[in-house]
Amino acid sequence: MPFTDHEILETVRMFELETFDIRTTTLGINLLDCADPDLESSCEKVYAKIVHHGRNLVETAGSIESDLGIPIINKRVATTPIALVAAASGSKDLVPFARAMDAAAEEIGIDYIGGYTAYVHKGYSNADHALLESIPEALASTARVCSSVSLATTKAGINMDAVSHFSRVVLDTARLTASEGGLGCAKLVCFSNPVEDNPFIAGAHIGIGEPETVLNVGVSGPGVVRSALERLGPEADLLAVAETIKRTAFKITRMGELVGREAARRLGTVFGIVDVSLAPTPAVGDSVADILELIGVERTGAPGTTAALALLTDAVKKGGAMASSSVGGLSGAFIPVSEDAGMIQAVADGALSLAKLEAMTTVCSVGLDMIAVPGDCSQATLAGIIADEMAIGMVNQKTTAVRAIPVPGKGPGETHDWGGLLGTAIVQDPGKFGSDVFHSRGGRIPAPIQSYRN
Amino acid sequence: MTKRFLTAEDVRRLGGPEILLEEGTVVTPQAAEAAATAGVRLIGPAGAYAPPLPDRGPDAARAKATLPHLPEPSTTDGIGLVVTVVGRNRPGVLAEITAALASHECDVADISQRNVGGYFHTVFTCAVPPGRDFGSVKDSLQCLGGEGDYVVRVMHESVFRFMHRV
Repeated sequence: MPFTDHEILETVRMFELETFDIRTTTLGINLLDCADPDLESSCEKVYAKIVHHGRNLVETAGSIESDLGIPIINKRVATTPIALVAAASGSKDLVPFARAMDAAAEEIGIDYIGGYTAYVHKGYSNADHALLESIPEALASTARVCSSVSLATTKAGINMDAVSHFSRVVLDTARLTASEGGLGCAKLVCFSNPVEDNPFIAGAHIGIGEPETVLNVGVSGPGVVRSALERLGPEADLLAVAETIKRTAFKITRMGELVGREAARRLGTVFGIVDVSLAPTPAVGDSVADILELIGVERTGAPGTTAALALLTDAVKKGGAMASSSVGGLSGAFIPVSEDAGMIQAVADGALSLAKLEAMTTVCSVGLDMIAVPGDCSQATLAGIIADEMAIGMVNQKTTAVRAIPVPGKGPGETHDWGGLLGTAIVQDPGKFGSDVFHSRGGRIPAPIQSYRN
Repeated sequence: MTKRFLTAEDVRRLGGPEILLEEGTVVTPQAAEAAATAGVRLIGPAGAYAPPLPDRGPDAARAKATLPHLPEPSTTDGIGLVVTVVGRNRPGVLAEITAALASHECDVADISQRNVGGYFHTVFTCAVPPGRDFGSVKDSLQCLGGEGDYVVRVMHESVFRFMHRV
C-alpha cells in the first residue's frame, strides 16, 4: 500500500475534525498599465483588467477543491497600490477607483479585494495624500475593497506625520461606518515593513517587484497544531513541542504548495508564494490562543505567553521553509483578537491587556490585529498606539501592522459583535494617560542603526 | 492601433465607422457600450472584436514551462484516489461502495478496515482509469450513505503524496 492507514487517517482527520483548509487563493494583478491622465478612463481600465484576469479565479479554485477534495475557503484579488496607478490622473478624489475595484470584485464573485494602498513611510506623493484622504469614503461606500498604508520601514524610519494622518483616517472611517460598529476599519490596516506578496486581507496588495499576475496561497491550520499538541500531552519538553509544531507546519505547507502549483497551472500564471500563517477563525478549536494555552500558559496573556508565541511562530516558519521553497507573505502566527475565540476569552477573563498584546506582537507574524478601542479614543492616543507598533517593526526588521477599530459609542470593557469571520471584540483600555506633545511634534523618527545589535 | 485598453474616451476621440484593434487589446465595458451607441464597429485581428485570452505576463510563459518539471514527491503509479468511509456497521455497506467504484471502472488497489463496537472505518486506495473525471467519481461516491448511516470522503492521492512523501 502506498500510504499507511495512519497517514491516511491523519490527513482525513485534519480536514474533517481539525478545521484545516486552504484559507485563501489570491490572484495578484499588476495595474500599473491602467494609469491614465483621464480619471474615468483609468477607472474603466482598472475594472476591465481585474475582470479580465480574475474572471476564472472562483471557478478555478472550485475545480481544484472538487478535484483534490481540499476545501479552499476564500478567493481574492490583490492589486498594485492604487496610489501608483492613480497618480497620472492627478485627481484629488480617488473614491472612483475604489468603486471600480468593488464593482470588479462583485463581477468576478469574490468577497474582498486588496490594494487600495499607499506607501508613505518616508513621505507623500500627491496621489498618496489624495488616497489617504479618500480612504474613509472609499471604505464606507464599498463593501469589498480593503485598504493598507505603509507608515514605516527599517530603512526609512517612521513617518510620524503619516501616523497622525492615518489615525485621523481610522477615526473618520469609524465615524462613517458607525451604524455597523466601525466596520470600515476592519478593512483598513497600516504596516511597518509591508510585504509585497501578502495574500491575506486586509493588507493584501502586490508590490512593484511582483510579476504581471501572480497566484499566492495562504494556508491556515491552528486546529491541526492544537490537536497535535493535545496528543503530545503536557509532559513533553519544549524541544518536543517545537518539533511537533514544525512537523505539523510542514504538512500544512505542503498542501499550500500543491494547491498553489495547481491553481497557477490552471490559471496559466506564476505561482508566487505560500503564506504559512496560523490564521484563526471564531470557530471553536480554530484558535491560536488555544495553542499557547496547550504549550502551557494558563490563559493567553499570562507570564510566559510571549515566549510561547515566539516558539510557535519560529517553529511554524521552520516547518514551512522545509516544505516549500516559495514561503513568503507574513508566515507565522496571526493573533487577531476578535477573530480568535480563545483570545476573546482571555480578554474577557482579564488575562490579556493591550500592553501584553503589544509585547506579543514583537514575536508574532503581524501585529495588533482586530483590536477594538473606545469610540472616543483621541487621535493622539490612537497615533501613539500605532507609533509603538511601527517602532517594534522598524527596530526588529519585521513586518508589524495595526488594524484597530474605534467602536463608536463603546467604552473599555464593552463588547461588540461584528458577526461572521470578524467575530466579537471587547473594547480595550488604552489607559488614561496621553501623549499629546509627542503627537503634536510631527516629523519623522529616523531609521534605526542596525550595526550594533545588542 | 496599439493599445492595452480601449476606453470609452478612446472611442469618442477616435470615432469613425470602425476602430481597428491589435491583438491583446482589452475593450472596457464602457467602451463597448459607447461604440455600440455611436455605431462604431470594433475590429480585432480576426474580424469582429472578441475579448482576448488574459496575457499573464512574461513570467507566466516561463512558469508554464517549469511547472510540470518542478520536483514532486515520489509517484505511486496507477493510484488515483483515496476513499475513506466511516459509519454504523450493517450488511451491504462494502457492496454499495465497491459497486459505485466498479460503475466508474475504478480498480481497488488496497482495502483496510477496522471495526470498533457497532462502527466501522474503511480505507480504499483506488486507481481511476485514464479519461475518467475525478470530480464525477467523487460526487457519486460522496452521495452514498447519509446521516446516521455512513459518510464517504474522497480525496486525490496527490494530497497524501504531498503531505507524507518528500
